[in-house]
Amino acid sequence: MARMSVASFYAYYGENAALRDISLEIPDRQVLALIGPSGCGKTTFLRSLNRMNDFVKEFSIEGQVTLDGVDIYSSEMHPVMLRRRVGMVFQKPNPFHKSIFENVAYGLRIQGIRSRSILSDMVEKSLRAAALWDEVKERLDSSAFSLSGGQQQRLCIARALAVEPEVILLDEPASALDPISTSRIEELIQDLKTQYAIVIVTHNMQQAARVSDQTAFFLSGELVEMGETSRIFTNPSDVRTEDYITGRFG
Amino acid sequence: MDHSRASLSFHRRFRNAILGSLTFLFFGVAVAPLLLIVYVAWDRGKSVLDWNFISTLPTGFPVGSEGGILNGIAGSMILVVLASSLSVPVGIWAGMYLWQEGKNPAARAVRLLSDLLLGVPSVVWGIVGFYVFSTSTGYGLHWGFSALAGGLTLGFIMIPIVTRVTEQALRDVPISYIEGAFALGASRWQTLRGVALPGAMAGIGTGILLGILNVLGQTAPLVFTNYYNTGIPNSLVGSQGAVGDLAMQIFIYVHEPSKVMHVKAMAAALVLLAIVLVIDLGIRLLTWGSRKIASRVG
Ligand SMILES: Nc1ncnc2c1ncn2[C@@H]1O[C@H](COP(=O)(O)OP(=O)(O)OP(=O)(O)O)[C@@H](O)[C@H]1O
Ligand SMILES: [Mg+2]
Repeated sequence: MARMSVASFYAYYGENAALRDISLEIPDRQVLALIGPSGCGKTTFLRSLNRMNDFVKEFSIEGQVTLDGVDIYSSEMHPVMLRRRVGMVFQKPNPFHKSIFENVAYGLRIQGIRSRSILSDMVEKSLRAAALWDEVKERLDSSAFSLSGGQQQRLCIARALAVEPEVILLDEPASALDPISTSRIEELIQDLKTQYAIVIVTHNMQQAARVSDQTAFFLSGELVEMGETSRIFTNPSDVRTEDYITGRFG
Repeated sequence: MDHSRASLSFHRRFRNAILGSLTFLFFGVAVAPLLLIVYVAWDRGKSVLDWNFISTLPTGFPVGSEGGILNGIAGSMILVVLASSLSVPVGIWAGMYLWQEGKNPAARAVRLLSDLLLGVPSVVWGIVGFYVFSTSTGYGLHWGFSALAGGLTLGFIMIPIVTRVTEQALRDVPISYIEGAFALGASRWQTLRGVALPGAMAGIGTGILLGILNVLGQTAPLVFTNYYNTGIPNSLVGSQGAVGDLAMQIFIYVHEPSKVMHVKAMAAALVLLAIVLVIDLGIRLLTWGSRKIASRVG
């Protein structure tokens, strides 16, 4: 069943169309990988799914994006509620100037949760889920900036998990990580998809092939094709997809 | 080969030496005035500087030829507190508004207005303060020459400074933190309070400090709103509500044809500098503390 669905979606920065006529379904409890050359609109698409582009001046859209059948750009869905249900992890780790504990607890605190025991439980659960718990359990009160870049990114994943979203958007989450952290993140994504719908942007073809169930190939703001990852990587129907995944361009 | 390498390194050393001495020179020019003030004030004023000087009210004839400057110290403190209680909340609020609204026409208008206010000469503020707060024939408040009238007038001078610096400090918080909070479902207000404000706290502290220092040095706005008092009043408003003020006190003392008053003016200048130092350190401590607190409670 589709968790989110995108229909005839256009996105513009001022006059320039960054996305044209995108229609696709984001399946629940699966991983969708977005691939395509730099500048093709992957980030724009991802940020359109939780309305983070609202903060970009001159940004506008046409078409429809729905979450469980509700149009996320309509007045029926408040952007704040949308972002609690559709979490996001950015390319560059962006922890707050707070302690490790408070970084993870932040999303819960802003929902008004004050109970220390609930917060502690959720923080531990999220840090474990993000494969960070063992490294930080002794120093939850130290600054998030005392962590390495890879640890900071896992902290940001834990922070997103803590609010128990339904969909998780990851924009090249492993591009700043070492191979060991990367494989941990990939394992983590496999675990998470049992509960969440996951959309991941990646430039790494092996990664897309390893972690995703579905793959969508974007080119110059258009969706060239989308399908089962195994089929896209072995038997793409469009020659441009084949050229891209075999490294002939991009 | 050897020759060119030697000449290159000579050039580099030469350039480093020039840049080094320029840096030193500019630094010297920048701190020289402060050293000069401290030196002159200390040299001229040290003979009367003792505990009595800062803990007693002025006496004798002319008033001040004996006794200390407690009236000025207390009065300046009262004025700073009054001015800050108006300008800090209003200025921070206005700065947050400008940060949120960014480029919309109303925000542009507020920003322009605030910049114009920065340029209003302080004596004009004094006259406006006189009509609005002090005089009984003016626009209404009839507070007389009082601490409240003077303090609020100074507060109005501080507002645009705090506003400007608050907005800029908020803008300097990296967008990635702001987006991080929004992506977790924080509202605008929660993002502002929990992420943007703590990140901007040091800058805002600097703005408040600049405002306070500006206010501490003002005499013109006080001439028509508070003027001066050789004692400490029981009330902050009404015809008996004026307070002393260090800057005004120095101004008055140097106009007296009395050697000892001139010495006391210099000593009072040293005290004013010491107060500036204490306030600077205090605000640093406060911004550090409030950042800690803000980052803890989110
Ligand atoms: N804030 C913006 N203002 C104007 N144009 C933008 C903005 N952000 C992106 N664009 C443009 O939109 C197009 C798509 O950009 P986007 O960042 O979505 O690409 P991407 O596929 O994520 O690229 P990359 O792989 O390099 O991250 C590009 O042409 C880009 O220049
Ligand atoms: Mg991108």
